[in-house]
Amino acid sequence: MRLTIVSAVLFSIAVCQGQEAKPSPSNTRAVEGGRLTFRIVCSPCHGIHAEGGRGPDLTRGVYTSGDSDKDLFRVIATGVPGTEMAGYSSRLDNDEIAHVIAYIKSVAQPDNGTVPGDTAAGETIFWTKGGCAQCHCVGVNGSSLGPDLTRVGRQRSIAYLRSSILNPDADVTPGYATVTVVTRDGKKIVGLEKNFDNFSAQLIDLSGNYYSFLREDVTSMKLESRSLMPSTYGKLLSNAEINDLLAYLNGLRGDR
Amino acid sequence: MSLFLSGLLTGIALLAQAGPGTWTSYGKNSLGWRYSELDQINAQNVSRLAPQWMYQTNVSGKNETTPLVFDGIMYITGPSNYAWALDALTGRPIWAYRRNPPPNVNLCCGPVNRGFAVHGNTLYKANLEGTLVAMDAKSGVVRWEATLDDYKKGYSATAAPLVVKNLVVTGMAGAEYGTSGFIDAYDVDNGRRIWRVHTVAGEGEPGGDSWAGDSWKRGGGSTWITGTYDPELNLIYWGTGNPGPDMLGEVRQGDNLYTCSLIAIDADTGKIKWHYQFTPHDVHDWDAVGDPVVMDLAINGHTTKAVVQANRNGFFYALDAATGKVLVAKAYTRVTWADGIDSNGKPILIAGQAPTEDGNRTCPGMGGGHNWQASAYSPMTGLYYFTSAEKCMRFFKTKQEYIEGEWYQASTVGRDEPGVGRIDALDPKTGELAWYFETVSTPSGGLLTTAGGLVFGGDAEGYLIALDARTGKVLWRFQTGGTILAPPISYSLNGRQYIAVLGGQTMITFSLPNL
Repeated sequence: MRLTIVSAVLFSIAVCQGQEAKPSPSNTRAVEGGRLTFRIVCSPCHGIHAEGGRGPDLTRGVYTSGDSDKDLFRVIATGVPGTEMAGYSSRLDNDEIAHVIAYIKSVAQPDNGTVPGDTAAGETIFWTKGGCAQCHCVGVNGSSLGPDLTRVGRQRSIAYLRSSILNPDADVTPGYATVTVVTRDGKKIVGLEKNFDNFSAQLIDLSGNYYSFLREDVTSMKLESRSLMPSTYGKLLSNAEINDLLAYLNGLRGDR
Repeated sequence: MSLFLSGLLTGIALLAQAGPGTWTSYGKNSLGWRYSELDQINAQNVSRLAPQWMYQTNVSGKNETTPLVFDGIMYITGPSNYAWALDALTGRPIWAYRRNPPPNVNLCCGPVNRGFAVHGNTLYKANLEGTLVAMDAKSGVVRWEATLDDYKKGYSATAAPLVVKNLVVTGMAGAEYGTSGFIDAYDVDNGRRIWRVHTVAGEGEPGGDSWAGDSWKRGGGSTWITGTYDPELNLIYWGTGNPGPDMLGEVRQGDNLYTCSLIAIDADTGKIKWHYQFTPHDVHDWDAVGDPVVMDLAINGHTTKAVVQANRNGFFYALDAATGKVLVAKAYTRVTWADGIDSNGKPILIAGQAPTEDGNRTCPGMGGGHNWQASAYSPMTGLYYFTSAEKCMRFFKTKQEYIEGEWYQASTVGRDEPGVGRIDALDPKTGELAWYFETVSTPSGGLLTTAGGLVFGGDAEGYLIALDARTGKVLWRFQTGGTILAPPISYSLNGRQYIAVLGGQTMITFSLPNL
């Protein structure tokens, strides 16, 4: 473990004082060095252009575990407990981590700060006309059928959220694919994937009913990488209303 | 108590004798068949198979071990240099071994281990920090320890060793750290190194001109899965891994011998008798480490001793075991990098398949068609069984400076297309698939076949599955509660046949409840 608490403290001091380890996105050498390290170490989970994959999208300029250089350094060096994010302090030295941070900051899109909609109007649409809470929750309110949106403003870019509203199938969150089962008596049951394996499927339909089937007991079962969210929001909501909704979603940072 | 008495009665000389009811080598026999001659559990009664005991190791990490069973005791290795001896009747622990790995040991793929080897009453296992340890089978007490190479330079070890006469033969790992591969043979009694085969041809050696400049010094070619041994030819067969750095081929122009190859080694001298390179100048991380399985094949009216492997590059190969000449070569999964294998055994390359800075899609993906997971061969059916993936990936290369002991892959792969997996049964005489069972995920565990006409294998979702060895029909399955990364084995005790496998962190055995 090359990174010690002492070196982490020294690093944070160096950052504060603007010394050479500062992960500035304007330092092109640092950015290029960070890009190469990122491609090797980080891209398997975060995507080759930091656009996300198994791990969060890092181009949105806000980060799940904190936005400061110090937060990013801590996350890269020591990982995030309870997630697949491992600590890299044994593989990357302080400068390399600083360069990775410089690269991540260089690819950040500023769109999260500039949403043309009205947050309060968006909140009203979310809980009323949009019917979003029938499947999604924010904090303790709403339904847990679909992905939890409590922190979605940290986790997804505006462009991603807009795409998800207008075309829900564009990128289905893992664990939220669609399972369709046809029973022996011809009944078709469609729901959210809880499990889908070689011998069984577990799913929850949009009414919240839970089902478990063995493959040998049904006529067919299939898993599709498509969302059960309606694809009609482009017609249901006006452009202004979608912007309002995006403003509300962008503000969901898990804060209380 | 009964174990102690039987140990006294049988005596040390009989310990570890191979037989139908024991499992005393990584591949069951030295030819790598993973074929159990036990037939008490068969296609007619396997539906009644039921759990007998479980042992929870309580050690997190991937369990990839092949258990050994003899004299009433099961020996398993675990992640992070753990190992256990368990009573094979009840699962109760007899002894445990633990050696904390150094904190900065470099591992590409987790702190895994794939099992013990045994000679007489001595067990042998590799430790992560690149050492080989001999220990007393009844007590777990260490008898000797040998260092393969310096872990600080990126060397490590994960494979089960192979005992050949009075030698314990072992591979190494670390091709993602700029190491240079080898296969070592040590005296079973004292750990003295008898020979070393370098899997990267150095300057001035035969094959040395297949590396540009001094790139051979960081050439990779690690040997992280156990080889096989044919006593008639006195040859050891061992597969080698990718050249380093993985996808940045321009810094190591040439064929890069003997990476991604099968090497036949004279067991007495440690000299290479022949080699065959499946993927010259590999840039997709297609190691050739899968079990090299030795069998007789009747091709064109002639019976030839062959060594076969479903290679990670997507082709199945049967090679003449005496010469390395290609007898059969045929794609078993989707392949976009070669149109076939020519009469000289060289792949007919398709242009434009090399990794690029922006990513280039190739099939199969980095995990290949068939990777390292244990394969099996049944002399009853004449079929060769292996797991495979139908999957493609985008391959990226990246410039990277070499620093000793540091990660040196110079590459990555793009967001996965999901892909599917299969359990394949292939006729090794022709390379044609006889049947396959498609799985929702790509392969995780290895396979076992038995004289009961069965194939057993575990899947990523935790199911242990029994299939009819002739038809592929699923006859039984059991949810073990954890991803199965290890191959199942079979043994017998007190007239009862057992199937054993590690699911997650739990060792589970099965047998027929009422005989």
